[in-house]
Amino acid sequence: MSAARRRAELEPGFVLHSYPYKETSLIVEAFTLRVGRVGLLARGARRPRSALRGVLLSFHPLRLSWSASVELGTLLAAEWSGGRGALGGFALMCGFYLNELLLRLLPREDPHEALFDAYAASLERLASGEDEAAVLRAFERRLLAELGYAPLLERDAASGAPVDPGRRYAYELDRGPVPVAAAAGGELVVSGQTLLDVARDDYARPQTRDEARALMRTLIAQRLGGQPLHTRSVLRELQEL
Amino acid sequence: MAKEVVSTAKGLERLIEALRVLPGVGPRSAQRMAYYLLQHDRAGAERLGQALGAALQTVRHCAKCNNFTEDEVCALCRSPRRDPSLLCVVETPGDLAMVEQSLGYSGMYFVLMGRLSPLDGVGPRDIGLDRLLARATDGEVQEVILATNFTNEGEATAHYIAEMLRARNVKVSRIARGVPLGGELEYVDAGTISQALLDRRGL
Ligand SMILES: [Zn+2]
Repeated sequence: MSAARRRAELEPGFVLHSYPYKETSLIVEAFTLRVGRVGLLARGARRPRSALRGVLLSFHPLRLSWSASVELGTLLAAEWSGGRGALGGFALMCGFYLNELLLRLLPREDPHEALFDAYAASLERLASGEDEAAVLRAFERRLLAELGYAPLLERDAASGAPVDPGRRYAYELDRGPVPVAAAAGGELVVSGQTLLDVARDDYARPQTRDEARALMRTLIAQRLGGQPLHTRSVLRELQEL
Repeated sequence: MAKEVVSTAKGLERLIEALRVLPGVGPRSAQRMAYYLLQHDRAGAERLGQALGAALQTVRHCAKCNNFTEDEVCALCRSPRRDPSLLCVVETPGDLAMVEQSLGYSGMYFVLMGRLSPLDGVGPRDIGLDRLLARATDGEVQEVILATNFTNEGEATAHYIAEMLRARNVKVSRIARGVPLGGELEYVDAGTISQALLDRRGL
């Protein structure tokens, strides 16, 4: 991006995370429709009577206005944009997970309008009580595709032949599915049916859910370069209690 | 001469570095504080140093409520005038002070000293949820009131505490939220009004 002053007016966006900054301010990591991920300084947002307090919350559609001449923009205004049920319980943890994926994998000021819509729709589905696993898997696949790493699902990476739902495939990270003997095991051996289900975002089948979870986890981990996700380890700790 | 300058600067450097542990204090503010203390208020600096040392020696967490105290069990937890069957869970000592100021509550407390914050890697072990569980199931407590903040992190914290307590047959409740007392709708933020409508109750 050029060093020219950039302004955004009432840009649709979501808060992904925020950090306290100095005595009364906040640094907000936001995901916006036309600019992508941006870092914004919200001056005075932590003052007791700041109008921004009840607004700069994650998982709610907002309209953000800011101006920027350096990497960190200055938030000028934030407005609530459309009410919706808040995320609660496990769905809320899933929301944190989506946010961490975006924070870790999306570079700043790299617009992804389709991904923005997919994110907003995923939050909507989580808020309305839809099956969390299906929402997460669909979003993970979408995110990988937007980053340029769409997983090969419907074709055999070795021969290019259509994936056979009745066969087993070893998923090679940098290539895709390669047919293996029916008895072959290993973490990344999945059924052809699973690959075809994932391609259609269909997670009704329990085996698809289990295999897709392991597959997506490995594909995401590859993009994260081996760095673990905080949300995942916190969730694991909670389950141990 | 040159050697002395280096050693003087070292003490200063260490002070600046030490001041940066304070929240919201970056290298510039730390430098300003250090210069101020050494140049303009050496007596104040002396008091600060002694108070910090003394506090570290004497202040600890109450064995029952986890709040700061100089005793094994704090005065509030020892008070015979408090209702031992109610346990109110708050995030910080400041939150406890606010609930106390309301004069509307006479039960006991548990101070988490934080909240779950999955994106920052703050999990149940960092906020002593195991100690809260032990306190809430000690036989004295009949109801746990969750008064964590109405932020996403506060809600996640409340949710997981509620799950854990319900699994152990402890009665749990969450403080209500909505339009502030004396609040005119015209001046309340949209998020609060939207939640208040969702949390409406029959009359
Ligand atoms: Zn106490």
